[in-house]
Amino acid sequence: MKPLRMARDVMLHPLEFFYDIQFVGRSKVVAAIALVLLTVAVRVLSLTITGFSYQTREPYQISVVLQAVWIIVPWLTWAVANWGVSTIVDGEGKFVDVLSGSAFAFIPYVVFMLPIAVLTNVLSLSESMIVSGLTAAVYLWVVMLVLMKVKVVHDFELGKVVWISLLTIAGMFVVWFIGLLVFGLVNQAFSFVIGLYKELSFRW
Amino acid sequence: MRRYLRAAIVVLLGCAMLPISASADSPYEGYIYDSLRNTPQSINGYLYQDSIDGYDLETGPFVEPSDIFVAEDDTFYIADTGNNRIVRMDGDRNVISVVAPEEGEGKLSSPKGVYVTEEGELYVADTGNQRIARFDSYGRYVGQYSKPDSPLLETGFTFSPSKVVFDKRGYLFAVSEGAHQGLVQLRPDGSFAGFFGANHVEFSWTRLLVRYIATKEQRDQLASVRPPEFSNLFLDREGFIYTTTFGIRANQIKRLSAVGVDILNLNESRRYGDYRMPVERWSSLFEAFVDVSVDANGVITAIDQTTGKAFQYDQLGNLLFVFGGLGNQNGLFMTPSAIDSMSDGTMLVVDKTRGRIDRFRTTPFADKVHEAVKLYVEGKYEEASVPWHEVLRMNSNYDLAYKSIGKALYRAERYEEAMTYFKAAKDRAGFSEAYLEYRKIFLRKHFDVIFGGIALLYALFKAYRYRRSRRRRAGGAAAGGGWKRGGANL
Repeated sequence: MKPLRMARDVMLHPLEFFYDIQFVGRSKVVAAIALVLLTVAVRVLSLTITGFSYQTREPYQISVVLQAVWIIVPWLTWAVANWGVSTIVDGEGKFVDVLSGSAFAFIPYVVFMLPIAVLTNVLSLSESMIVSGLTAAVYLWVVMLVLMKVKVVHDFELGKVVWISLLTIAGMFVVWFIGLLVFGLVNQAFSFVIGLYKELSFRW
Repeated sequence: MRRYLRAAIVVLLGCAMLPISASADSPYEGYIYDSLRNTPQSINGYLYQDSIDGYDLETGPFVEPSDIFVAEDDTFYIADTGNNRIVRMDGDRNVISVVAPEEGEGKLSSPKGVYVTEEGELYVADTGNQRIARFDSYGRYVGQYSKPDSPLLETGFTFSPSKVVFDKRGYLFAVSEGAHQGLVQLRPDGSFAGFFGANHVEFSWTRLLVRYIATKEQRDQLASVRPPEFSNLFLDREGFIYTTTFGIRANQIKRLSAVGVDILNLNESRRYGDYRMPVERWSSLFEAFVDVSVDANGVITAIDQTTGKAFQYDQLGNLLFVFGGLGNQNGLFMTPSAIDSMSDGTMLVVDKTRGRIDRFRTTPFADKVHEAVKLYVEGKYEEASVPWHEVLRMNSNYDLAYKSIGKALYRAERYEEAMTYFKAAKDRAGFSEAYLEYRKIFLRKHFDVIFGGIALLYALFKAYRYRRSRRRRAGGAAAGGGWKRGGANL
């Protein structure tokens, strides 16, 4: 699939597109990873070129790493949690499909955020309704795409989609909580070993 | 050995010839808040000059003085609480008079506040006697205002005035310790005219949640929430009452209108004092503004007991200077309790624990800023630009200067330059306004080019679409099939 056509299909015919990716499936994981990286790049770039009137942060406050984490971690945990939850309730989707499907939902963001950022250079604060409205529309679009992906990939009906999505969000929090817990415990274990080593080296 | 000795002497002599750094360093460093709440260094606006502790006066040392009032003629009255008296002094450290009736009705007990009218009449918040005592300009006891009798007051209300002002209509406004309902307002005849300018309890999610969950017994056991109480008040020349309040994080300083509405923080809730307060037991301490003083130009100075710092703001609430701090050195305070300014800009800060009055003189930088602020607040932006430029020459971190020069340029319709200055001040709202005007002019000037460009682009697009569809139609006819998606690849 060519990238441009893919983007057009996701935005214009999302249901068909998500249906297709389950079967056509050529190097879609690579495409998904590339898309997520592109999203990070667009995010950072749009923050950087936002006009002064709309710029709430200083250049030094924009961290590529932080922005990447804020996009990649939710994406990964969403995929893991969504796959886990839907597998329990007879979802049909494979993990790869969930993972790449969620990434393709970023396409409206990738396409429209840069023009909006350019627009903030031309508009004044009194026209902020336009900017906030467009941004909200893009985010809403992304959310809609994610929901459609859940529907098509797992073949659920609408009520179940909403229910599963809520469960998935709960699952994401569980994943984060466990992640922090593991991180804390590993940290403790490491400092214990280091402390033991120090203690011993002081003695002998 | 002798060689070493000689070397040592040379080194010593060399050291002696080095310039010795001045010893007049201030124990505090000036700073200012920028729009990101960082604290870039600023030049000090006030420097310690000297102290009056009373040891060299015939009246003896002050004991826990808690208020100061500077009269029109620059003489000042000190509420010498621990000595139960009011001392009047002039700027040359001479005692002019002492109000300390030994006996009779005029005898004071722990007076915590003093106010002097233009005629020289004294109103003393005689806290220990729970009254406001009144003396004439010769210091003779004239009368008193004791606890007013009114059905509006709760039965348990205790009148314990600690600060007092007397307005032009003859009404008395007093801070009564522990009164959370507001300032006590008394009519000239001493009757109760109501509470004035009450603070409000702010909304809190925690409280809502607790009220929702707790049983009735639990709720009864909780301490009832009371509005924060006033700690001090100040009457300025225009008749506005300024107040300071304990126990809140925003709008600690208020300017009350005639009907008791805060008009200093009308459009936005503003935080005074430091943003980052010292932390104790996992929670940051509350600032404790104990006194506020406003000079003839409307410049507001308030002193915070928690950090020991005095904060100065212009009439609109922009921070100008910070000085003082907690400590033992001259220029720092142990327990600052009151502040007031003389007509030449000298600030007087009363230190309760050390029993002395510290005087701070303005620096040339502060004089420049005050000059500029005066013009700026009056709306004379163009004239204010001259001193502001000098301020920037001395301290390029002073955002307020950029902002007001930007406003001057905006008014002079030099929008592009105004944008530069607003950008330097990180004033997004100001920048945006200037940009709007700039864009209007730009569009008007280049209307032909822009409109022509758009028309041309549209024409090109149309032509491209037309040609493409024609070619496709032709190609499709030749291939004998539709041109639909993927048709060519099959």
